[in-house]
Amino acid sequence: MQSEDEGEDSDDESDDGDYEPFPEIDPSSDSEDEEEDDNEDDEDEGEDEEDVSENDTEDEIKIGPRPKNIISDITGQPKRVYPEIDPDYDSDSSTEDTPNRVGDIPMHWYDDLPHIGYDINGKKVLRPARGDELDKFLETVEDPSAWTSAFDTNAQMDRPLTAEELDIIRRLQENENPDASYDPYEPTIEWFTGKGKEEVMPLSAAPEPKRRWVPSKWEKQKVMKIVRAIRQGRIVPNKPKTASAQPQFYAIWNEEPSTHPAPLPAPKPRLPTHAESYNPPEEYLPTPEERAQWEATEKEDRERDFLPQKYSALRLVPAYQQFIQERFSRQLDLYLAPRVQRVKLRIDPNSLVPKLPSPSSLKPFPVYKSLQVPHAGQRVRCVSVSPDGAWVVSGDESGVVRMWEVTIGKEVKRWTFPGKIGSVEWCPRTDVSFFVVGMEEKLHFIIPPNLPVSILIATQTLLAPANLPPPPSVPSPVKWVSMAASASTSDAPILSLDLPSSSGQAKQIVWHRRGDYLATVSSGENQAAVWIHQISRRHSQAPFKKVKGSVQLVLFHPTKPHFFVATQRFVRMYNLAEQKLLKTLQSGIRWISSMDVHPSGDHLIVGGYDRKLCWFDLELSDKPYKVLRYHSRALRSVHFHPTYPLFASSSDDGSIQIFHARVYNDLMTNPLIVPLKILRGHAVKDGLGVLQIRWCARQPWLVSAGADGEVAVWCS
Amino acid sequence: MGRIKQRGKAGAAKAYITRSMAVKKLQCSLADFRRLCILKGIFPREPRSRKRANKGSSAPTSFYYTKDIAYLAHEPVLKKLREHKAFAKKLSRALGRGEWSVAKSLEENKPMYRLDHIIKERYPTFIDAVRDIDDALCMIFLFASLPSTSRVSATLIENCSRLAAEWQLYVMHSHALRKVFLSIKGVYYQAEVMDQTVTWLVPYQFTQHIPTDVDVRVMLTFLELYQTLLGFVFFKLYTDVGLVYPPPLDTKKDEAGAGVGAFSLQEAKTMQSAVSKSKTVEVDGKRVSSKDVRQTIKTIVTAEAADGDINMPASDSVPMDEDDEEFVSQPSKTHPEEASTLPTLKSLSALSQSGPLKLFAPYTFWLSRETSRPVFEFLVRSFGGRIGWPASSGSGSPFDETDETITHVIIDRPLVERPNESEEERERRLRRKHVQPQWIVDCINAGKILLEEPYLQGKTLPPHLSPFGDHVGAYDPAAGLTGEDVEMEQEGSDESGEEQDEEGSEAEEEEEEVQPEKAALKAAAAAEDEAALRAAELEAEAAGVDFGTFEKEARKAQKKTKKAEAKQVDEAEEDMNKMMMSNKQKKLYERMKYGEKKRAAERQNLEEKRKVIEKEKRRKNKA
Repeated sequence: MQSEDEGEDSDDESDDGDYEPFPEIDPSSDSEDEEEDDNEDDEDEGEDEEDVSENDTEDEIKIGPRPKNIISDITGQPKRVYPEIDPDYDSDSSTEDTPNRVGDIPMHWYDDLPHIGYDINGKKVLRPARGDELDKFLETVEDPSAWTSAFDTNAQMDRPLTAEELDIIRRLQENENPDASYDPYEPTIEWFTGKGKEEVMPLSAAPEPKRRWVPSKWEKQKVMKIVRAIRQGRIVPNKPKTASAQPQFYAIWNEEPSTHPAPLPAPKPRLPTHAESYNPPEEYLPTPEERAQWEATEKEDRERDFLPQKYSALRLVPAYQQFIQERFSRQLDLYLAPRVQRVKLRIDPNSLVPKLPSPSSLKPFPVYKSLQVPHAGQRVRCVSVSPDGAWVVSGDESGVVRMWEVTIGKEVKRWTFPGKIGSVEWCPRTDVSFFVVGMEEKLHFIIPPNLPVSILIATQTLLAPANLPPPPSVPSPVKWVSMAASASTSDAPILSLDLPSSSGQAKQIVWHRRGDYLATVSSGENQAAVWIHQISRRHSQAPFKKVKGSVQLVLFHPTKPHFFVATQRFVRMYNLAEQKLLKTLQSGIRWISSMDVHPSGDHLIVGGYDRKLCWFDLELSDKPYKVLRYHSRALRSVHFHPTYPLFASSSDDGSIQIFHARVYNDLMTNPLIVPLKILRGHAVKDGLGVLQIRWCARQPWLVSAGADGEVAVWCS
Repeated sequence: MGRIKQRGKAGAAKAYITRSMAVKKLQCSLADFRRLCILKGIFPREPRSRKRANKGSSAPTSFYYTKDIAYLAHEPVLKKLREHKAFAKKLSRALGRGEWSVAKSLEENKPMYRLDHIIKERYPTFIDAVRDIDDALCMIFLFASLPSTSRVSATLIENCSRLAAEWQLYVMHSHALRKVFLSIKGVYYQAEVMDQTVTWLVPYQFTQHIPTDVDVRVMLTFLELYQTLLGFVFFKLYTDVGLVYPPPLDTKKDEAGAGVGAFSLQEAKTMQSAVSKSKTVEVDGKRVSSKDVRQTIKTIVTAEAADGDINMPASDSVPMDEDDEEFVSQPSKTHPEEASTLPTLKSLSALSQSGPLKLFAPYTFWLSRETSRPVFEFLVRSFGGRIGWPASSGSGSPFDETDETITHVIIDRPLVERPNESEEERERRLRRKHVQPQWIVDCINAGKILLEEPYLQGKTLPPHLSPFGDHVGAYDPAAGLTGEDVEMEQEGSDESGEEQDEEGSEAEEEEEEVQPEKAALKAAAAAEDEAALRAAELEAEAAGVDFGTFEKEARKAQKKTKKAEAKQVDEAEEDMNKMMMSNKQKKLYERMKYGEKKRAAERQNLEEKRKVIEKEKRRKNKA
């Protein structure tokens, strides 16, 4: 078929000789080209030549079957006919010497087989013998063509490269085109341009525009403008611009200033004082110690950046070495230092101290130590004053409880218990008279000696009634053990309460104001730290099933059925009647050590181990109205005077601070707190100072118990 | 429901910007940012909460106002700096390629920025500018004294010294100088210009070298700003008094070392023409407004003063007397007598200021070779004096040493014997007063001519005190010791040696032996109750004191102790009241008290030192 086309083509060419300047591009001509590149070249070269010569050139170059020119029977035109291709095996040279017919497969499949594939007949092609490394080496030495041979995977043996392959390698090495037949310098074929192909007819019939040949008016105007400017001297050609950059000064402040406020001027440096003089008064000269100190301090820390010096004459004054550094640091200050506008306080510092009424106008208050009762060197943890203010009970750590008279300090009686005394407290009732001693896990109720008969009997019947009240439905773990009223003396406790074991030391006892209830706080960590005991019913109960934090202190409200519980950081206020939490006071103290409520019941003071004393106005807020910090060590005890407007605080620094605290009934006026006096006299022992203070009920007298084993009475 | 507030969108986080953020926002280098900050006067701010301003980070950074930086972004100088960056690249490329003509034309068209708008912006009014030229003057005077190096060009230094000279000329011309202080750092001057006090420091005449730990770039940037600022300020100052700015420089004189004298002050021509115009009006209308008269007088007076002060060689004696007469020469024709009594502005100011302003007018000074000419020429001429100097101190001296009018010689060398001295020289020496340079400065600060006696050549100078004073309540070296102290001093010196014992508290017994009477009285004072008083009385009797004196003394002593007690009580109460202060107040109080205590200690230290020194002196005098 192809040969047919070819023939036709050539026929066409020969037919249409006139057309030759515009050869047609035939899509089939590409396929033709593949076979007959050279042929076409020749055609182009010899456009004018005849077809015969074309055939001649064909003969010269063409290898392979030669065509025959015959006259076609059908058309009667000459026609080129190629001989038939004989499809024998020789015709394909590519398969000549490859007996292996496995194809393009990974040859390692045959690695462990004796053959390397199959030939065309299906016979195994055996693996050619391959010598060892030595043989290989010898081969490379002996065989001159060894270096041009490569391993043929298909045949599994070395084959010498053919001349064509070597030529390709050489061309690649020399960066030439690997195709030997490629000619990079082919002559250009001019298809559309060149001689005889000029376009003589214009594409459009529009006349040529004027602008092509008339000079522009606008350009001329622009140029003339520049020319005129140059002539008038407005434009100076090649004027160096930097020369005019010399600062030109003019009246810059003549026009109206802007309404913007001027930026704040930088602060001026300090003016020099006498010390900077070249000839200062002699007292300004530094002593050797001052000089050494100045030299020892860092440059930034120095108060003055120079040492005063004295020269007898101006001509002797040398250059100041730090001059440029000082200018530079000033400039750094100007542009690097943040500036803050500060209002300079021109006030007398003493005006900051609040003006309070003079303490002398607020008398009476305790000012001196009137007497001292020794406790044989033992720490006196607790002290209590009887409700009539005549007797004091104090208990120390060796288990001794002493009862003595306030005015002269005469000891009336002494009890000795086997354990540490954690707390003592008088019953606030006046129709009966007794006090409670907290000794470890026991509470002992003791009747003081020398009582009037009526009171004694009343007390005995209260504490050891003849007919016991009915036991509560729920048995409490606290045991009430009382002696018979007839057998009771003041030597032994008439009533004893055994708090549950492992509840720890009873460290605080507080009475309700009526004297029927008392609450105890034990030092134990468990829940059973707080107990409320009722004397009349001989019954004890734990008011809290669960308390957040360890309870430090408890307190009855003086007028309402409220109950204060101080944990380490908070004071909670409960309503006992409704059994609910009223408020939580946030003191800000890390660890509360002491607490007392004002007799009016509206104010609470709380002292802490972190030296703070907080005054709470219960009507006002959960936060303290005032926080005072004046003791240098932990606060140990605070107490309001029951009748006088006084309160006191004691601390581990061995001092007692007396305050005047006036509370007003109207809600608008803040309470007035005036510090009155610091009482010193207790020694600090083992880091402990005054452990407890109590006011006498009817006098402005104070009883204090110290860790140094002394109990003192302070009188006004 | 309002919109949800986002973090960092309002408040301090938005109002402040860190330095690195600012640099990033302005898209310039840190050095350029610094330069901009210096030129524009932008400085870091301290936010109330650094953490909040830095969006939660507490890293140490400096903060700027975001608005400041936003203004900076539109700064023409920033644009020029960017252009300069491009220019530098172009130039280096041209140089690298060897394209010299391109490089030349580039160099000629180098982008330069001007600072006029910044000056106007930073100092909206002239007063603002004058208030802030202290630092500028210090820098100008410092750089005028520096040697030129590769980093500091000679033209810059020349410009600085020109500006310095212009300032000095103006101060001399306007008699604005008020105070001078010779310190160990240099000379402090204080002038009053436009009712603003301007203080500047000039280093002594030594060659300064820029130390390595100083960033010259920063100083040069400041200097750039200061030069422009001072140029504008001087322009205004000069033109306001009717002078030409810049004053022409006589190169020849300058090369001969004439210093300030190389410049000549010239009256502005335009001003004169304006004056002449007003004169013609006066001639035509024959009516003279008092304003016109005042103006003319003022111009004439200033012209005369300029002549007299600055161009001294021209006029030998200062025409002081003419100042007042000037007014009478042009009386108005309608009301002659009224006009003559009318006080002019000039006469009023002259009345109030003529004393200290023309302090040295009657004197003629000669500077000795070893004194610093620029300093004393400036000082003497600002106060109206005439001054001459030897040729070794520079040219331009209006007279030489043999001049008969010289009244004072400023000399700073020890007294030496002159054996071979001619009669003439001796006579001349005796006629003139030889004073040390401190005399000039002390006279200026005192505002009057002091006695020359303590300042004569070879004498030990009295201490030189700062005219600027110290803070209120500081130790005053000029005041004598307080009376009580002196008395105690007397006692101490009488019983020389006893004093130490008195101060030591241990030596009470010895004291009793020496003065039993006193001891007895002391016991009386200490006696609190009756019994003790009686015992003290007995003791006094034994010591030989009669009852009357004892009683008197005892009462006095008791009163004293009572007073002391009361004081103590008061103090204790105060101390107790302190516990009612809030924490903030307490801290403030403590700080104030600390400062007070420190100042008091300083003062006491100085007083004690002085006491010791005076005692030493007295002892020396006795010996």
